Amino acid sequence: MTDSVCFHCGLPIDPRHRYEIKIDGQPQAVCCPGCKAVAELIRDSGMSNYYAMREAPEPGTGRPADDAADWRAFDRDDMLEAFGAIDGDGAEASIYVGGMYCAACSWLIESTLTKQAGVESADVDPVTHRVRVRWRRAATGLGRILSTLTGLGYEPQPLAPQAGTRPEVAEQRKALKRLLVASLGMMQAMMFAVGLYAGDFEGMAPDMQLFLRLVSFVVTTPVVFYSARPFFAAAWRGLLRRRPGMDLPVAIAVGSAYVASTYSMLTGGEAVWFDSVTMFVFFLTLGRFLEMRARHRSIDKSAALSGVLPNTVTRIDDGADAVIPASRLVPGDRVRVRPGEAIPADGTLLAGRTSVDEALLTGESRPQPRSGGDALVAGSVNLDGIIEMRVDRTGPDTALGTIRRLAERARYARPDFVQLADRIAGWLVVVLLGIAAVVGAWWSVADPGHAFVVTLSVLVVTCPCALALATPAAFSAAATRLAELHLLVTNGNAIEVLARATRVVFDKTGTLTVGAPSIVATSVLDTTRSAADYEHIAAALEAASTHPIAAAFVGRDAGVRASGHRIAVGEGVAATVDGVRWRLGRHGFVAPEDPGDDDPSRIYLGTGGRLCAAFDLADSLRADAADAVRRLRELVPAVSLASGDGEAAVSRVAASLGIEDYRSRCTPAEKLEAIRAAQQAGDTVVMVGDGINDAPVLAGADASVALSDGALLAQTNADLIMLGSSLTPLVTAFGAARRTMRIVRQNLAWAIVYNVVAIPLAAAGYVPPWAAAIGMSASSLIVVMNALRLSRYGG
Amino acid sequence: MSILYILIPLGLLMLGAAVWAFFWAVGSGQFDDLDTPAMRIVMDDDEKPPPSSES
Repeated sequence: MTDSVCFHCGLPIDPRHRYEIKIDGQPQAVCCPGCKAVAELIRDSGMSNYYAMREAPEPGTGRPADDAADWRAFDRDDMLEAFGAIDGDGAEASIYVGGMYCAACSWLIESTLTKQAGVESADVDPVTHRVRVRWRRAATGLGRILSTLTGLGYEPQPLAPQAGTRPEVAEQRKALKRLLVASLGMMQAMMFAVGLYAGDFEGMAPDMQLFLRLVSFVVTTPVVFYSARPFFAAAWRGLLRRRPGMDLPVAIAVGSAYVASTYSMLTGGEAVWFDSVTMFVFFLTLGRFLEMRARHRSIDKSAALSGVLPNTVTRIDDGADAVIPASRLVPGDRVRVRPGEAIPADGTLLAGRTSVDEALLTGESRPQPRSGGDALVAGSVNLDGIIEMRVDRTGPDTALGTIRRLAERARYARPDFVQLADRIAGWLVVVLLGIAAVVGAWWSVADPGHAFVVTLSVLVVTCPCALALATPAAFSAAATRLAELHLLVTNGNAIEVLARATRVVFDKTGTLTVGAPSIVATSVLDTTRSAADYEHIAAALEAASTHPIAAAFVGRDAGVRASGHRIAVGEGVAATVDGVRWRLGRHGFVAPEDPGDDDPSRIYLGTGGRLCAAFDLADSLRADAADAVRRLRELVPAVSLASGDGEAAVSRVAASLGIEDYRSRCTPAEKLEAIRAAQQAGDTVVMVGDGINDAPVLAGADASVALSDGALLAQTNADLIMLGSSLTPLVTAFGAARRTMRIVRQNLAWAIVYNVVAIPLAAAGYVPPWAAAIGMSASSLIVVMNALRLSRYGG
Repeated sequence: MSILYILIPLGLLMLGAAVWAFFWAVGSGQFDDLDTPAMRIVMDDDEKPPPSSES
């Protein structure tokens, strides 16, 4: 150990503040009283081995935080309900331990905790950095355990117990097991089938044949009763509700082939079909598995759904900090958020400056600066400053909560189009069962020996699985792809509407434009200085202003500083630069004796009542607006613009984007009327707005898209939400919607052609059951994989 | 050929063991994430752990 770095945490030691501690008789240097305390604690509990066993620490690891959290509140029983489980006299909780970096850490934590009075067991999982603690409630409490961990220099986070496993995870686990049983069963059954077929040609001893059939039966049985169980269950439910689905023919085919094979095995009959049964079940299970994965992925992508909000927050109560469960936050609470922590609720920044990462909500990966009065969004991450915030909205009312709610809605509501496909498939099943019955009846008269095999083949080959999967598979693949592009589909119908849209109506402010003014032109009225000089001066004047217009000048001061700011509300601002008193604002404010025009989009800079420069301000277009509109016009026949702004501003935007059909000074009611008129003229209208001011208009359109960032999202209810500040994903959405409908049509066409060709062949007895199983399964897999092509749409 | 009467049941036993092992692996969560392991190979693994909150 050198003396220049801390023995405990590895940070360099400031020679002026050097502390020493004896470990195993050797003096060691540490950097601060905190490290000294931790090292002493470790030594005094007989854990000095820790220093010998550990790997070299990342400097700073294990150093106690200066503002160590107060965990006393966690000794109370009501906290245990939120963070652990009470079990008679004992209790149990999971704790995430930040700052744990090697095996020696887990040893230290386990040994220290189990030595503490009242702790029964502590199991550390070094991979997930979690420790599971059991203790006797009479002797100690969660708060004391957490304080012990803090005392060791770690940063513990109690974890809210998971209410069971997430349903998707449980579903995927079950499906995987079913798939594996089916695949292993299929491989084994086929292997024995090869032996049996060879025996048919070459001859084989009867007892060997019976033995091979018996082992085939043994491997097929779990496939039928375990892997195929969902098909039987669904078929039964369909029968009970008198709405037979595609599972009914599957269940009949699997069940009857299995029973007939078993019977044939017991009575020494001609053939068994165990190989066909397992293969059929395997391919069906595989198709279901792929479809399930596509569905789950769209859930995962539709906004990192869970685990982004902190479990505990530091609430500021009359100056004292208390750590409380995040679920107890109510609007109005004041909360302290440290760097690296997630913002627990939507709120307002009260004190401190920081930057936040809002990538989760807006797709914007650059850190966003935030200072006093700015809005903060739940789920974004505080990057570099300690801040105090006021909680405004919690839980389901936050923007994140809204996204989750809309994503849930999309997950559970089946789009009309899919429902229609379901109904058709239901009818088809009845028809196909009828066909199978007729074929069976005819063959049992004409050739009773083959009646069962042929009927089985017809049943298997006609199973309308492909038809039933055609639409939902394509829709969920499309939704997944769009979510990756930060477009959340909250209403499945929207995809279909987008595909056949004939008119797109844009709002202007905040949609085509960024919603904040910028300088479009600077005119120099007094040529003693250059336009750039005037801009610098104006920017220095506006530096102290919070007026929206000031945003246009941000970052243009080039180091010029002004002093003595005086703000005249609604008029302008005055300040001194290099001894000259400047005024910036309306014409009448800068040059009082010459009240000129009063155009709100023009502001003047002057000194001593003399005008020096004029700045034309306009809400600037989004960087990709022109490109996006141009590409959209290739996809959609008509693009129009409806805005509440004045004629001049709207016509300028329309002209620069090449939109001929525009309306200015529209009230929301007039916008809605315009949309209704277009709809009556036969147009399918998609409205794109910022989602809040346009809410009624959005609701009136056939499909609505809200372009919104962060906090404003909380109020929107649009069918499609675009996160972030770019318009390009909208074009992708239209393209993807068309592609989706094209794939749905391809899938439906394939399913119909396949059935039309396969049914007569099977009915004529040309298709053995195994070939029928391959044909039907291949057909379903083709449909699902065709749909999965959508997940790569748009690069 | 009577060796088959021993080998096939033996094979079935091993099959059963394999199924049991897989069920255990699924149950312990090893297959919960099927997407990121494929990506992990292209990630840098020399990233520093997040800084402790003493700043």
